[in-house]
Amino acid sequence: MNDGYRAAKEKFVEELEKQTIDSLSIQNDIELSEKTKQLIRNEAVKELDLFLDTKIKKVKKVIKKQLKLKIKQEKKKKWLENSFQRFNIYFRIQHMMLFTSVIILIITGLPIKFPNSVVSKFMMTIMGGIYTQGILHRIGASLLIGFYVFHTLYTIFNKEGRRDFLQLLPRLKDVQDVLQMVKYFFGFAKEKPKFDRFSYIEKFDYWAVYWGGIVMVGSGLIMWFHNIALRYFPKYVYDIAREAHSDEALLATLTIVIWHFYNVHFNPSRFPGSLVWWHGRLTKEQMIEEHPLEYERLMKEKEGKND
Amino acid sequence: MKRNNLNNHFLGNKNIHFSKVLIKVILSAIFFVSMPANAFSQTPLYQKCLLCHGRPGFKKILPDGKVLELYVNKTELEHSIHSNLHCTDCHADVMEIPHIKTPGKVNCYRCHYKDNPNGAKPANDFFQSTHGKLVLEGNPKAPLCQNCHGGHNVQKVNSPLSTVNHQNVAYTCGKCHKQQYDNYILSIHGTALLDRHIESAPTCTTCHGKHLILPPDNPESTTYPLNVINICSKCHENKELIRKYNIPGGRVSTYKESYHGVADEFGSVRVANCASCHRAHLILPQNDPRSSINRANLAKTCGRCHPNANVNFTKGKIHVNYKSKSTGILYYIGMFFEILTVSTLTLLFIHILLDLFRRYRSGEINKRKHGE
Repeated sequence: MNDGYRAAKEKFVEELEKQTIDSLSIQNDIELSEKTKQLIRNEAVKELDLFLDTKIKKVKKVIKKQLKLKIKQEKKKKWLENSFQRFNIYFRIQHMMLFTSVIILIITGLPIKFPNSVVSKFMMTIMGGIYTQGILHRIGASLLIGFYVFHTLYTIFNKEGRRDFLQLLPRLKDVQDVLQMVKYFFGFAKEKPKFDRFSYIEKFDYWAVYWGGIVMVGSGLIMWFHNIALRYFPKYVYDIAREAHSDEALLATLTIVIWHFYNVHFNPSRFPGSLVWWHGRLTKEQMIEEHPLEYERLMKEKEGKND
Repeated sequence: MKRNNLNNHFLGNKNIHFSKVLIKVILSAIFFVSMPANAFSQTPLYQKCLLCHGRPGFKKILPDGKVLELYVNKTELEHSIHSNLHCTDCHADVMEIPHIKTPGKVNCYRCHYKDNPNGAKPANDFFQSTHGKLVLEGNPKAPLCQNCHGGHNVQKVNSPLSTVNHQNVAYTCGKCHKQQYDNYILSIHGTALLDRHIESAPTCTTCHGKHLILPPDNPESTTYPLNVINICSKCHENKELIRKYNIPGGRVSTYKESYHGVADEFGSVRVANCASCHRAHLILPQNDPRSSINRANLAKTCGRCHPNANVNFTKGKIHVNYKSKSTGILYYIGMFFEILTVSTLTLLFIHILLDLFRRYRSGEINKRKHGE
């Protein structure tokens, strides 16, 4: 009797396992189907009882969760294999520091430049008056100065930082690229210029921030510590700082909102924006499209390594 | 003669009760003896009262030793705007002659109330003013209408005899506000009005208001830090006055461009307004050595807010007009940034437009639209 019972039970359990595996469609995944079988034998059918269905459901739930995780991991692995790291973590943190501080500075600073506008008055009310506005603007300024310090240290002490800085230096090819781009715009050339790691557009953005940083931080510090500054400089130096700060602020804001936002958000191939600033990676297709020279170089390096 | 001696004798005596009674007896005796028979019917209405009050030197010595002048100048009264009123129209609590009780202060609101059919205009906002509030609190030193407008000599405001006339009001205010008056008469405003008789020059009421005078820490006040600029710009932004009297122009607009002006615009009370540097009452032109904005005094003036201010504060203009060539290097820096901004943005904008144009021509935009 025992033998007959065991055989029947074995058959039933096998049937149950097959059904469960089929319903989860993981026949090809040996690891997960083994696990399913194990779970069913250990958890669900220790003793045959009335709650078998519920127990099987629980097993299914566990396996589904693991399946999802596995798929996600595989996807990530595939993505990491097929994409290229463009910006490392330091670079991304710098960019985040920069845009956070710039957004704070623009919101808190522009009302001072246009004090008579209704929007400025509204913003000032939201910020809680000119005193808190001053504090917020200085917080933004501290973050921006922090960014510049971070970036300088990164450029000096990080290998990738040094490499990027050298690649960002303007060279003759950038002028040729601009001319080629203009030709392409008007249809005289069929192909866009081939960019290396940094296109002339990106180089412009980088050096604009350099120039802006010197003007804004320099003049801003004079105004922040005006009582100290006026101990050593005559009052017209303060006036010059104020004028330069105000004018450069407008230039920077317009450049960011019009130029940078067009290039990374509003142009048809990017809209509404990419997540490169977050994960710092480009797909193979994006690399070939936007930085073909760098792609070629990377491929050669890879081949050289494999050989 | 004998009566006068007696009078003086008793007035000088500290035994007030007795002297009071005696004076009244004597006064009533004089009144009845010297009164002509037709005094009530034909003389002007106030003739009766002037029998006593019309005598120069008619006075009373108060218990604390102060002398209360009771003399009423008849000519003054006849030429005042109230010449057609009876004494008791204002001194309404005088019911009999001689009046035993000391008459109370005159209440002008008996006639000057709202919607008076005879047209006596009221000053409704007086009791909201700092003076009026003190009156309501019962402060005996607080000024009533008559303290400024005059009692028996009250005139229309535009009359040159009026105590609150544009020319005279500073003196009237100065009776209580002595220090401010002393500063004001030395200031450019004071000398212009009082010495050179320039009618457009401001006096106390031009800045502080007339009836609704409030202390500078009251946000409603015309001299509240945020409101000061409005008062000063009444004249210093008035093109006609600037041309007529050759006042330096653009003072208010340049202030508004400065950080002080911007902070003022956004409601900062701490920031410097016109009066912080130019002072409120002793306002003097820059070339006057007593002036707070004289080059020699400027560091001290700035130092009131900016600790350790030194001579560097005087190197450069304070009222900077960034758009004027006269500011020198500032003008060129502004121009440099203007050219830089316009040229950079034009180039970038052209680049964007060309990029869009090319994308459109190569069909990228249409493709996206149709989801190909």
